[in-house]
Amino acid sequence: MTLTTAVLSAVALILFFVNRKENGKQVEGLKIGAKEMWQCLPLILGAFVLAGMIEVLIPGEFVRDWLSAEAGFKGIVLGTLGGLLLAMGPYAAFPIIASVLASGAGLGTVVALIASWSLLGLSKAPFESSFFGLKFFVYKSILSLPFCLAAGLIAHWIELLLR
Amino acid sequence: MRKSLEVIAVSVLLLVLVAVILGGWNLVLQGLKSAGNTAIKSALMLVVSFIVIGQIQVLLSRERMDSWLGKYSGIKGIAISAIVGGLIPGGPYVYYPFARSFTEKGLPAYILIAFLFGKHVYDFSRIPMEITLIDPQIALIRNLITLPIPIIAGLLAEYLLKNRSVANLFSEGEI
Repeated sequence: MTLTTAVLSAVALILFFVNRKENGKQVEGLKIGAKEMWQCLPLILGAFVLAGMIEVLIPGEFVRDWLSAEAGFKGIVLGTLGGLLLAMGPYAAFPIIASVLASGAGLGTVVALIASWSLLGLSKAPFESSFFGLKFFVYKSILSLPFCLAAGLIAHWIELLLR
Repeated sequence: MRKSLEVIAVSVLLLVLVAVILGGWNLVLQGLKSAGNTAIKSALMLVVSFIVIGQIQVLLSRERMDSWLGKYSGIKGIAISAIVGGLIPGGPYVYYPFARSFTEKGLPAYILIAFLFGKHVYDFSRIPMEITLIDPQIALIRNLITLPIPIIAGLLAEYLLKNRSVANLFSEGEI
């Protein structure tokens, strides 16, 4: 965690100086970041509480049978379905995904969940269908589905190899 | 954002109720404790993540993204569109109208597919959040595994739709 914070801080510093050199908008960038954080804070805190509750409520047996590495393809399919239904932005979805991970879900399930949330998430449906038509949304979703399952399967194999 | 907050609030209330029924207030406290721990652990990273997000937003203007698209075709065009998709900051209110503008630019349909898949899969400004809120290792593995997806989707679209433009595709009523 400390290393990650250090790396992110270095990235933030580099971007700050790049903006200072390129466009002089580094302070504007800080303001935008602060504003976005202020706007998202209630959502993030709410999602933390939700994630905490999910973590203590998910039955161990369910995780073992359906979401863990041992669950295999079942977990990947369930992860893909979960991502589809997780119709919310990253600030809300990520803590929930983290709670599924913390409860003991396998890597395949978690990767399928993230891939499916990003590609198939139903929150995109109103935008995609209004800008490009319902048919486009359906075709794109059909095209996306095998990618989510494949990503989950690859992650599952990686987990098995790393054991 | 407001809708997500409402969904979260209702879900929290429901789960608290379930927790009270299943394990009493002790279980609720356990959940809240877990939430508090996560919040404390990720507080500093969250602040830094938002600094990164703000700096990315001022660095990558829509005009700059625009100038990179349409310069290349084939696999090079697909790769650049996917990267531009990943780089374009902002939510659906920003990138869907931007993608819709491909119609007027006469860009091929596979560029649109690569762009949308790039935005959804790469979204570079989302990575700090993924690292902070999920796990750095999981974020790395997920990003590496899904890296080829926008390229493969773009190539598939190029194969299936040939060189049809976005405008052409929509006007033919095929999509």
